[in-house]
Amino acid sequence: MNKKIIWIIDDDAIYQTIINKLIQKSGVFSTHSSFMNGKEAITTLNTILEIHEEFIPDIILLDINMPVMDGWEFMEEIKRIKSKINKQIIIYIVSSSIAIEDRNKSKTFTDIIGYIPKPISVEDLIAIVQSDENSAGN
Amino acid sequence: MKTEKSWTNFTNWFAIRPRTSGFLVFIILSIAVISVSFLRNHIEREDERYEMNLILSDAHQKIEQSLKNCYTTTVSLALTLNDDGIPQNFDTISKKLIKSNPLVSAVQLVPNGIIKYIYPMKGNEAAMDFNILELPNLKKEALKSIETQKIFFAGPLQLKQGGIGIVGRLPIYHKNNFWGFSAVVIKLDTLLETCGITSFNHSRYYFQISKKDPQTAKEHFFLPLKRDFSKSYFLSKSISDSDWKIYLIAKKAYTVYPQILLRGIFGLIIAMLFGILTAKLLKKPEELGFLLKEQEAKLLKNELKFKTIFDQATIGFVIIEAETGDFIEANCKYCEMLGFTLDEIKEKGVKSITHPDDVEKTLKNIKKLNEGKISEYVSEKRTLTKNGNYIWVNLTVSPILETTDKPTTLIAFIQDITKTKATEALIKKSQSRFKSLIDTIDGIVWEYDLETMTSTFVSKKIEHLLGYSVEDFLEIPNFWEDHIHPEDREYAISLSARENKNYTNHVYEYRMISKNGKVIWIRDIMNYVFEDGKPVISRGIMIDITIMKEAENDLNNSLQLVTEQNKRLLNFSYIVSHNLRSHTSNIESILYLIESAESEDERNEMMQLLKSVSNSLDETMKHLNEVVNINTNINLVTKPLILNNYVNKAKDILSEQIQLNDVNFITNIPDDAVINYNSAYLESIIYNLISNAIRYKHDERKLLMSINLYKENDKDVLEFTDNGIGIDLERNGDKIFGMYKTFSDNVDARGIGLFITKNQVDAMGGTITVDSKLNVGSTFKIYIK
Repeated sequence: MNKKIIWIIDDDAIYQTIINKLIQKSGVFSTHSSFMNGKEAITTLNTILEIHEEFIPDIILLDINMPVMDGWEFMEEIKRIKSKINKQIIIYIVSSSIAIEDRNKSKTFTDIIGYIPKPISVEDLIAIVQSDENSAGN
Repeated sequence: MKTEKSWTNFTNWFAIRPRTSGFLVFIILSIAVISVSFLRNHIEREDERYEMNLILSDAHQKIEQSLKNCYTTTVSLALTLNDDGIPQNFDTISKKLIKSNPLVSAVQLVPNGIIKYIYPMKGNEAAMDFNILELPNLKKEALKSIETQKIFFAGPLQLKQGGIGIVGRLPIYHKNNFWGFSAVVIKLDTLLETCGITSFNHSRYYFQISKKDPQTAKEHFFLPLKRDFSKSYFLSKSISDSDWKIYLIAKKAYTVYPQILLRGIFGLIIAMLFGILTAKLLKKPEELGFLLKEQEAKLLKNELKFKTIFDQATIGFVIIEAETGDFIEANCKYCEMLGFTLDEIKEKGVKSITHPDDVEKTLKNIKKLNEGKISEYVSEKRTLTKNGNYIWVNLTVSPILETTDKPTTLIAFIQDITKTKATEALIKKSQSRFKSLIDTIDGIVWEYDLETMTSTFVSKKIEHLLGYSVEDFLEIPNFWEDHIHPEDREYAISLSARENKNYTNHVYEYRMISKNGKVIWIRDIMNYVFEDGKPVISRGIMIDITIMKEAENDLNNSLQLVTEQNKRLLNFSYIVSHNLRSHTSNIESILYLIESAESEDERNEMMQLLKSVSNSLDETMKHLNEVVNINTNINLVTKPLILNNYVNKAKDILSEQIQLNDVNFITNIPDDAVINYNSAYLESIIYNLISNAIRYKHDERKLLMSINLYKENDKDVLEFTDNGIGIDLERNGDKIFGMYKTFSDNVDARGIGLFITKNQVDAMGGTITVDSKLNVGSTFKIYIK
């Protein structure tokens, strides 16, 4: 079982610390990177697309409310560069919002696999990886 | 008298028969012309006869003379005989005789009928010894001369010696016994020449000479026969001592002389012309008479027609004596109108049947007509009827035209308008009723002529609703347009203009400015009036809907308020769900990590994290409290505040940062500028906006901030402008005043300042707007209620 590359995009520093711990505990990820907003993530993605394709993430956990570039804007950017990505990136919305509007909006993006309300658990992370592998295996 | 009459009858007879008369004239003149022509012809002929006679007599005389000369010659010749009957000196004497009488070509002595002596002999030898008594034709003639004992000219005959000649023989008796003949031979040519017959060359006549044959008694002509002249006109004379006849013959037989014929024809033509002329002339009066009759008939017809019109007209006619005002004539209608008979009317004058109140006016008008100041007048007056009532009539009076300066008679046309008057009164009454009805309508009724593009009516209500007078509205051009609220003017005018093309009834609303400057909301209900399918008038009612509009506005405002509050409430619930949940979810995760911690260090680390979450949560709670406070604090204390003091206070609090960033301020606020506001809010708003500007200043330039106070639509506006990094409004415009919305990666951004500010401004009944450009700067405007 190959370990996955995971990206966390969220402006909440405390959450970043927590997820860091959880990822380590899950042990299913080879590397993980943290981004404070969508802009940082998309810039990095654009850079590695050209020089280090091996660093393209398998899974992205995306927050909605962020300064500079929020989750929705990030998804718009992904749509634009999607053709250049030679890899199926699994994107989950992970937000503390339980507003139905946000959940519905996430469904309008085909690239979003699911909507996970915070708090996220180790089990959640493992399930994400497993479902990814199942779908890949199929 | 009688003759005169019969003469008139006579001329009339001709006058009425122009053709017959013309023909008669022609006949009479023709007869005259023909008679004259005949007469002239006759005279001409007489003249001609006379002339012929002269010519003939002249020729006759000449022949006779010549023959007499010959006789003399023969006598002289006979005298040559001596007593013995022997000629003596025959040749000598003959020679002399021939010399003296050139007519004679030869002389002979013929004893006993035998030619024995001839002079000259030469050329006449053949005749010698010829016995003339032997030839029967000669013998008879010779014997005749013997018988008459006179000279007898025989011939003309073929001479033995040649040629045609005449022989004159004188019987000679010697001693009472016949001796023989003394003869002269005359050449016919010579004779004719001598008598001028040969040379006679006349255009109209010619000569002929004949001789009766002694044996046959038939007439022989010796001159060449031109034609048989038995039918021609001729004169003849017998020549003595011979059987000859001389004729003068007219070349043309019994002619009518051409010039006379010509004149005759000319005369006939003239006669004919006279005839035609007479006919024509006589016809003229007939034609005129006919015309006259026709005109007479027409005139009669017209008179009848006018008489009929006069009598049967449906309006009254009267003819009035101009000076006295008496009635001369009146038609049936007029009599009927007043109930008087014609005779009764004739007894009355204008004055007596006119209503006392109208008399003066009537007399004045008649006077003016008489003086020629006016050519007619039309008036309405009351006239007395037989039953003592007065009726209203409409008069048209004009003078009957005459050559004199002053009219002597006037003609008046009278119409009974009593009913019209009554109807008029009724119409007036109903008009005033409608008018008062219209005036009671709680709206301005108006009418607009589409052709002349002018207002034609507006009800009195305009004075009550808008304060303007009816006259102003109708008389001042573009009054309506000019008194529409400036913001609605274009809309109202263009809509009205558009509908005036489509002619669809419509209702629209706009504001007008009343005389005292108040804004009045109008609902204008507009209709088109069509005549023959063509719209001619638009009319409508302007209803004052200000109260309704105000209520509507209030309703809208409260709806907006409710919507706003609802939005805020939603936002708040979102904040609660999102911001509080983010903390609780963190706490939940941390708790899990503490439970599953593998070391004390790890557990401590998590405890620290829990503390910071707790702090964040506390801060969020504070913010929420603040927002709730703002939104629930209805009875905020407001009072007049000196604006500059608050700006300075904010600057003082932020003085450290201002100095650190070297911020420049341009403040355009008058020292005495005062606004009604809540003190704490004003302080918070100014502080937030200045600190925001410093926080989001542009790295590459010094922050320049201007704070201005000015009026916009009578409202105080406090404006903060900076040259900071700006905000992409296209992306973030909708959430700029939202809670925990930050737009930069600035770590100081908390996303609470503008949210609080907006809540405070809203709570004070004002609004806040933002205008910003990325990398240029932002402008915040606070509208103060």
